[in-house]
Amino acid sequence: MFASIDDVIARLAEQGYIASRRIATVIYLASELKKPLLVEGPAGVGKTDLARVLALALGHELIRLQCYEGLDESKALYEWEYAKQLLYTQILKDKIGEVLGGTQGLKAAVERIASQDEVFFSERFILPRPLLRAITSEHPVVLLLDEIDKADAEFEAFLLELLSDFQVTVPELGTFKARTIPLVVLTSNNAREMSDALKRRCLHLYIDFPDRARELEILKIKAPEASEKLAAEVVSVVQSLRRLDLKKTPGISETIDWIKALTLLNVQSLDEELVGETLDAIVKYEGDIRKAQEELREHLRQVRARRGSATASDRDLLN
Amino acid sequence: MQDKLLEFAELLRANGLRVSPAELLDAVGAVARTGLGEREVLRAALASTMVKRAREVPVFEELFELYFSGLGEIIRQTGRAIQRALAMGDREFQEFLEQVERMLRESGRELSELARAILLHNTGELERRLREAARQARLSSIRRPLEENHFAKALERAVGLAELERELNEVRKAIGALPYDAETRERLDTYVGIRIRELQEIIRRYVRLDRQSRDPAARDRSRLSDIGEKSFYHLSEAELDRMRQAVTRLAQRLRNVVAIRRRRGRRGRFDAKRTLRRSLEHGGVPFRLVFDRRKREKPQVVVLCDVSDSVRNASRFMLQFVYSLQDLYSRVRSFVFVADIGEVTEHFRNHDAAQALEAALSGGIVNVYAHSNFGRAFKTFASDHIGAINRRTTVIVMGDARNNWNLPYDSCLREVRQRARQLIWLNPESRSTWGFGDSVMDQYAVHCDLVEECRNLNQLYRVVDRLLPR
Ligand SMILES: Nc1ncnc2c1ncn2[C@@H]1O[C@H](COP(=O)(O)OP(=O)(O)OP(=O)(O)O)[C@@H](O)[C@H]1O
Ligand SMILES: [Mg+2]
Repeated sequence: MFASIDDVIARLAEQGYIASRRIATVIYLASELKKPLLVEGPAGVGKTDLARVLALALGHELIRLQCYEGLDESKALYEWEYAKQLLYTQILKDKIGEVLGGTQGLKAAVERIASQDEVFFSERFILPRPLLRAITSEHPVVLLLDEIDKADAEFEAFLLELLSDFQVTVPELGTFKARTIPLVVLTSNNAREMSDALKRRCLHLYIDFPDRARELEILKIKAPEASEKLAAEVVSVVQSLRRLDLKKTPGISETIDWIKALTLLNVQSLDEELVGETLDAIVKYEGDIRKAQEELREHLRQVRARRGSATASDRDLLN
Repeated sequence: MQDKLLEFAELLRANGLRVSPAELLDAVGAVARTGLGEREVLRAALASTMVKRAREVPVFEELFELYFSGLGEIIRQTGRAIQRALAMGDREFQEFLEQVERMLRESGRELSELARAILLHNTGELERRLREAARQARLSSIRRPLEENHFAKALERAVGLAELERELNEVRKAIGALPYDAETRERLDTYVGIRIRELQEIIRRYVRLDRQSRDPAARDRSRLSDIGEKSFYHLSEAELDRMRQAVTRLAQRLRNVVAIRRRRGRRGRFDAKRTLRRSLEHGGVPFRLVFDRRKREKPQVVVLCDVSDSVRNASRFMLQFVYSLQDLYSRVRSFVFVADIGEVTEHFRNHDAAQALEAALSGGIVNVYAHSNFGRAFKTFASDHIGAINRRTTVIVMGDARNNWNLPYDSCLREVRQRARQLIWLNPESRSTWGFGDSVMDQYAVHCDLVEECRNLNQLYRVVDRLLPR
């Protein structure tokens, strides 16, 4: 586990994740208190990535369950391998005939088969899904339940049970109890508010868009090839776009994509034309692009007015 | 520490946050591991254990400031003020403090811990002593502004202010005898002089802050900063903005929930157990896959939204909400009215939210400067648009039912109700005012399946929850 909050920061940084002191504190507490961690925040602020680097930093395996509408226990916990069972019965037809040999009537035959059914409902025919894998794992794991808000309320109720005692019962096989309590990370985009019961069980971490300093640090680590000047300009623009009322506010991933694209184009410094041409790397919707362009033009006009010179090149104005 | 956390949890509860006993225990456990030393860490530890809704974070932040970091921040602020008064940068100030320490050593004086902490700007030590003094002076029992003076004096005694002043004055005298150049001596003298007055100032502000955090009136103020509880009527520009975002988010979330439910309804799930059972009839060959199928009617909604001046802010949010609703349900038809009534469905469909709202509210569709006339609006609706309504339609009326003493024509509303599946009325006025003055809410209410007060975001949330098809 982690020795301290600073240790969290250092070890996540080794894996390329810049954690604020607030994030690191909550991570430290989750690992100390052995509580599931519910991470909420807008898209692209590093919720999923946090779980991934956490596993790397701890040297634990990451087991990930991507949630979606209609996700149910058979996809999350385990499923009987129906096809395999069927195949076995086909291949073993003769053997089954033998077993049934000498039985009188249907009822007796069914009884006889039923007495054998543990053969078919054994671990051989079970297909463990992420949750069962996390519970039966020999070594400690980080269990990521990604975008839990997309799953149905019924699934949430089921999860609640699992998170409170970390054991599951497979009726045919018995109860499995976790050897080591997995470090559970749930992420949510707030498509649906999670139930109070679930929230009570979890530590809560709200990750917002990073401030300027942290975003610069992230770029330094994620796009080291970009010049510092360019990074500063890019972050300025992105931060000002985040203040707009956009349908999809650009996240950190968009900032990274954008600066990578710009570096590929061998850009040293932003100008209006360039921004216009590459804007679709950070804002995706038609309406958003329009708003963003307006904002940037306004931004430029203001800076120009402040400097009181119409001759300064647009390049400098974006700083 | 536990007492302090318990008290803080009480404060959160008094301001509308739900903190369960289990969560309080988690907070205690968390703080036991992080310690109290660092403000940001403490804040994160408490937020992660006690605040589980993003909406509640601002209230938490405000109370945390009031309750925990207040004293430390006050001390740091005075430190910065002194630095400014001496016109020093951070670095310079550090060097200067080292010089002060040398000076104290050279003057050969035994100083009290408190005096050293103050002169050497040891903020942590100072904070610790003041908190201890506050405990002795029972500061936690303060309630009213009038008591501030009394408690400030008690704190001064507990911390030993008079003693401190005497000590520092002696230090000041001793400076003159030190072998420094005149400029240095003068600077040291100014510095100690400022420091003498400083502690009193800190105590005064500390007492005030502590009182505010316990004062019920101050609590109400911070409770109001919870946008969810704030009435649509009383919003500043910034709050309007936040509210707009919140309404959009609410609608988005709604969209997701409905989408999920609807899809599930349409598809039906593969039912493995029943498939297996059924297959027994065919010698175990799964001839037919069994799906669990649920039928669900697509709801239809007709919204009638009052856009008169008396409900201006409220209708803005309602319309924004209606705008999002149109995306949501297969068939939403939207109307706005003041005295006339007009349909905005197409408008909403073809324009972005800002434009559509502007058009609806600025008089392009109906005259918004007319005097409200619900009766006439319903009468017109019943004669011109009644075809919009059938047995599957939910009709939602949003308005304050202030009819300006016109004829209510509630028979027309009844006619609407009879053809519809249900009729819901959302009123942005406080329930206690319904039926008074020119409000004819009571006359209309008898024809409604549901009448809800809807004057803030939280109420809108609840209404929405009820509207959702299950
Ligand atoms: N603090 C950080 N340090 C380094 N990289 C980061 C940080 N935060 C985010 N990133 C990068 O930003 C990108 C987006 O992160 P991620 O996919 O985890 O976002 P998310 O919050 O899970 O988004 P979504 O809600 O869309 O799933 C990743 O490429 C990640 O590497
Ligand atoms: Mg993600």
